[in-house]
Amino acid sequence: MTVPRQRSGSEPALAVRGLVKRFESKVAVAGIDLDVPAGSFFGLLGPNGAGKTTTLSMAVGLLRPDAGQARILGYDVWADPTAAKAKIGVLPDGVRLFDRLTGTELLAYHGLLRGMDAEVVDRRSTELMDVLELGAGNRTLVVDYSAGMTKKIGLACAMLHAPRLLVLDEPFEAVDPVSAALIRDILHRYVAGGGTVVFSSHVMTVVERLCSHVAIMAGGAIRVHGTLDEVRGASSLEDRFVEVVGGRTATGSELSWL
Amino acid sequence: MAVSARHFVRLKLRLTANGLRARTWRVVLFVLGCLLAAFAAVAGYAVFSLPGLLGEDRAAGTLLPLGGAAVVLGWLFLPLVFFGVDESLDPARFALLPLPRRVLLRGLFAAALAGVPAVATLAGTLGMVHTAARLGGTGAALAELAGVTAGLLLCVAISRAVTSAFATALRSRRARDLATVLLAGTAALLGPLQLAALAGAEHADWDRVARVADVVAWTPLGAPYSLGLDVAAGRAWAVPVKLALVLASIGLLLWWWSATLERAMLGAAATAGARRRTDSSRGPVSQLVPRWLPRTRFGALTAREARYWWRDARRRASLITFGVVGIFLPVMMAAGSGGAGARMGLLVLIGALAAVSLANQFGFDGSAYAANVVAGVPGRLELASRAAGFSAYAGPALVVITLVAGLVAGRPGSIPALFGSLVAAYGVGLAIVLPISVRAAYALPDTANPFAMSSGGGLAKGLLSLAALVGASVATLPLQLGSYLLGDAWLWLGLPAGVAYGSAAFLLGLRLAGPMLDRRAPELLATVSAAQ
Repeated sequence: MTVPRQRSGSEPALAVRGLVKRFESKVAVAGIDLDVPAGSFFGLLGPNGAGKTTTLSMAVGLLRPDAGQARILGYDVWADPTAAKAKIGVLPDGVRLFDRLTGTELLAYHGLLRGMDAEVVDRRSTELMDVLELGAGNRTLVVDYSAGMTKKIGLACAMLHAPRLLVLDEPFEAVDPVSAALIRDILHRYVAGGGTVVFSSHVMTVVERLCSHVAIMAGGAIRVHGTLDEVRGASSLEDRFVEVVGGRTATGSELSWL
Repeated sequence: MAVSARHFVRLKLRLTANGLRARTWRVVLFVLGCLLAAFAAVAGYAVFSLPGLLGEDRAAGTLLPLGGAAVVLGWLFLPLVFFGVDESLDPARFALLPLPRRVLLRGLFAAALAGVPAVATLAGTLGMVHTAARLGGTGAALAELAGVTAGLLLCVAISRAVTSAFATALRSRRARDLATVLLAGTAALLGPLQLAALAGAEHADWDRVARVADVVAWTPLGAPYSLGLDVAAGRAWAVPVKLALVLASIGLLLWWWSATLERAMLGAAATAGARRRTDSSRGPVSQLVPRWLPRTRFGALTAREARYWWRDARRRASLITFGVVGIFLPVMMAAGSGGAGARMGLLVLIGALAAVSLANQFGFDGSAYAANVVAGVPGRLELASRAAGFSAYAGPALVVITLVAGLVAGRPGSIPALFGSLVAAYGVGLAIVLPISVRAAYALPDTANPFAMSSGGGLAKGLLSLAALVGASVATLPLQLGSYLLGDAWLWLGLPAGVAYGSAAFLLGLRLAGPMLDRRAPELLATVSAAQ
């Protein structure tokens, strides 16, 4: 048993150095450096195909990077996966859950998988199902859930073992406003309690309302990062985003047949 | 511009080509498949043209209808048991296009014909044309050519119709049991055929075999392949009758296929109907983990796996298929004659066949496997729990199979030893299959058809299964020798020896595959979650 070296209070919750990933000939992520301070609410922004999902997958140990390293609370994800993975909860996007289980069964599965005590799993699962309005006794299979309910149960699975770091890929996609408000509340409380949240999104209003720190990705590289105020400056986050990413604006002459 | 079958064929070929792009192992598999198919085609041609070359019209009259019927039955059963169907053109993908059903059906049928198996079948059965030409001249050859072509259409139609219908049936819970019975019944039809073949081979009673062949020649199975012989024998009147019989069968099959196709097209969009089940008041952990399992990681993994073998249509299909094959093979074997050695060999196959269901266990999960990767489940625990979850079904099935085999053979005393051999074969099968499932996993297409395969996947599945079967047969040779040499002592030694042998093999496989999975988990996840 090795004693983990003493960590200073300023150790970032997630530190990424020189991450690179190529798919066949296409470079999806071209050498990313990123620090997510502990206790921050960190938004990773970018247009579709910017490499957000790829970056987050490599950071949590789901996808092996071609180069670079990722550290979670000081533990190297790829050298010491067991220790690193114990500290995080992950909500991947575009990944199926074990959806032939009921929501309750799925939560119990995740809890036991994390090595938790059965009683604790029972207590927390029931509570989570109640708070997320999924119904603790509900025996509908997750495959029959609506998109919003699926996001909520995925979030519950990621939070059940009370991780220090939550990595959420598009947590607000396909979620109705009521559920979104609920999820925002829960995440706020989690951060207030000392947790760190990293999430990806392309919904500016949500990011602007929630995040303390932001990074904007495009073409597999981080273009801007810093605290929310540093990044947006005087303009709105949306204007800043379009400016950084370099979007094309319609002139009105195309698609005249529409 | 009208959409014709040509577009579907081109789409299928394009999809096949794109599937091969920049994926070395797929290219290797594809080439290997082509070589195997070419070998089968050449062998088939040689066998079917032999009676003609020898001028044996009696042998031809037996071989052609029976061989042809075997080809058709192969097209019916091999997709269900081993290969799956190449569903690179998934009917659901066409649901939104304004295509009349006739056009769609014709296109999908043409696309199904444009594949390696169909070409190989055609090439192999062309040997019959050779025979017909030698025996009856040009007229007979032309008739046989028409017959062989019709036979190919019949083969493709039968495999499409049956897999599509079976898939549709399996999707709804209520019809599932019916489908099981249907499949069992169809498999049972093999029985009489097998008996006839066995009896014929044993007593070398060629007259009886010839009589069977004559009957088969008038069923849709053998009819297309006997046209040329009828011309050669001066029964030209039989040709239009048989041709009509075959074409009517094809028409019926296509009609059946088109009826199930409609539902398959809806399959992707329409949910299976959210069943609102009564609420449970038990605690979450008790809902997941049954009482006979520990409330730990192992328990959770095993319970989830056991649930999945029943709730996932794909897994259920392979489970049911195994059950049917497992029950019917020994019954047929016992009903026919054959030495104890042959029976042992067969049971070994069944034990290994059970394990083969796990050959692509991670492929069943697809991207959902990410949950286990994120949680950092140790490889050995993962594999052990998966084997345990499957054994919750395979174990009882093996017991039943042994009982049936022993009782039908009239040798209840041999049941313990038989069971020992089965367990040994199952354990060896697992030991072979576990590393395969880690190293050679492949993504399954995300369709409602449990028999669907992406292009190349069918071959991979077939090859892996075959490798595991052969490996298990070879690895259990010591036990087979033991049973042969020890005689009666084996009746008592067989059970402990078999169980010990099987367990040791399983543990060895686990030791090998566990660290392999630890190293490769992210790569495995990427492989099985690859879209299409």
